[in-house]
Amino acid sequence: MLLKGLALSLVSSTAWCILFNVPVRTILAGGMAGMIGWLVFSTLPMLGAEVLLSTLVSASVVSLLSQILSIFLRVPSTNFSVAGIIPLVPGSLAYKSMLAFVNNDYMGGITLATQTMMVAGAIASGLILGISVFTIWRGARHAGKRTQRN
Amino acid sequence: MDTCLLAGTIILKSGGETYRTEETMTWIAEAAGMDDVNSSATPTSVILSFRCQGQDHTRMVRTPKRTTNLNKITLVNDVSRRFVSGGITLSEAYGRLREIDQMKPIYPKWMQHMAAALTSGAFSMLAGGSWLDLGPSALAGLTVNLSMEYFEKFVRMKFFTEFSAALFGGLISLLFVTLFPQLHMSILIIGAMLPLFPGIAITNSLRDLMAGDLVAGVSRGVEAMLTAVSVAVATAITLWFRG
Repeated sequence: MLLKGLALSLVSSTAWCILFNVPVRTILAGGMAGMIGWLVFSTLPMLGAEVLLSTLVSASVVSLLSQILSIFLRVPSTNFSVAGIIPLVPGSLAYKSMLAFVNNDYMGGITLATQTMMVAGAIASGLILGISVFTIWRGARHAGKRTQRN
Repeated sequence: MDTCLLAGTIILKSGGETYRTEETMTWIAEAAGMDDVNSSATPTSVILSFRCQGQDHTRMVRTPKRTTNLNKITLVNDVSRRFVSGGITLSEAYGRLREIDQMKPIYPKWMQHMAAALTSGAFSMLAGGSWLDLGPSALAGLTVNLSMEYFEKFVRMKFFTEFSAALFGGLISLLFVTLFPQLHMSILIIGAMLPLFPGIAITNSLRDLMAGDLVAGVSRGVEAMLTAVSVAVATAITLWFRG
């Protein structure tokens, strides 16, 4: 089950890379970012985390990973993070909320729509968290170097 | 001047962040020995001004048509980095940028459609589908991508294009569910809508916001939200057809 999910997330992230014209040498890295994001996303609930928390953590892992990869491969980090968040998209929640609206179940629809928005917000804040952690780390490293030199 | 603006326009046209556009133009202009360089970019236009031998120069370029081509951004990034570090001259950089601007997408059209089908199929199985759902949802994703390309030629409005593509994808999945009742409507729709997911708009909007470029960040965010709304409405119409 886990292996199947890993393979599927790798395939969908890699195909998404092709859809966005990512350079050839970074395609596989983008797929790997998606796979690791999904791995975190699917293992955290087993440890007792809820959907929002695991989405947040896996989005920040993806973001951090794409910043690190962007340094190693010397390409903009967007190449990886765009594909990396694909397996985290709350597709079924969004679908269920539309279904509830169509069936005149407005209360259920609003509940599900709010949940979808919160998951989307968790992805967004995870990405931001990854970027900021990385910026702080880099800033700290530069400051360390400066003190060493002086 | 031309080099800077060309680099900026390519980045913006290929779906880059505005802060990257501004930084690249500023670096190139400063490396070319210009003083008092200022650049400003919104998702639809680029303005650059600098002082050269006591004279002020300002120019503005609009970028009406935007696509997503991360390869071009990477290449422009590479050229600007090499120029700033002194590896190539200004005219070499300009020639290289002209080449990049004329470049076709690295993957042929059929491969992109196949990729859309593949990502739809894989995502629908990730959302809990069985092996049976793989084929139909891949076909639905292919339909979405093909119809998006087809409608782009006639319809100027991006959101209407996305809406009609999503509607077509939804109708195809409805057709499959009617023909084969053991398939899951929810799984098919979720897979089919994935090629329309505004991933690049969301990431760019966040990165622009974090870089302090509030106008660009908010406008990209609105773009992502409008796409999401048009897909949602198309899904609702498909579900309503089902009754």
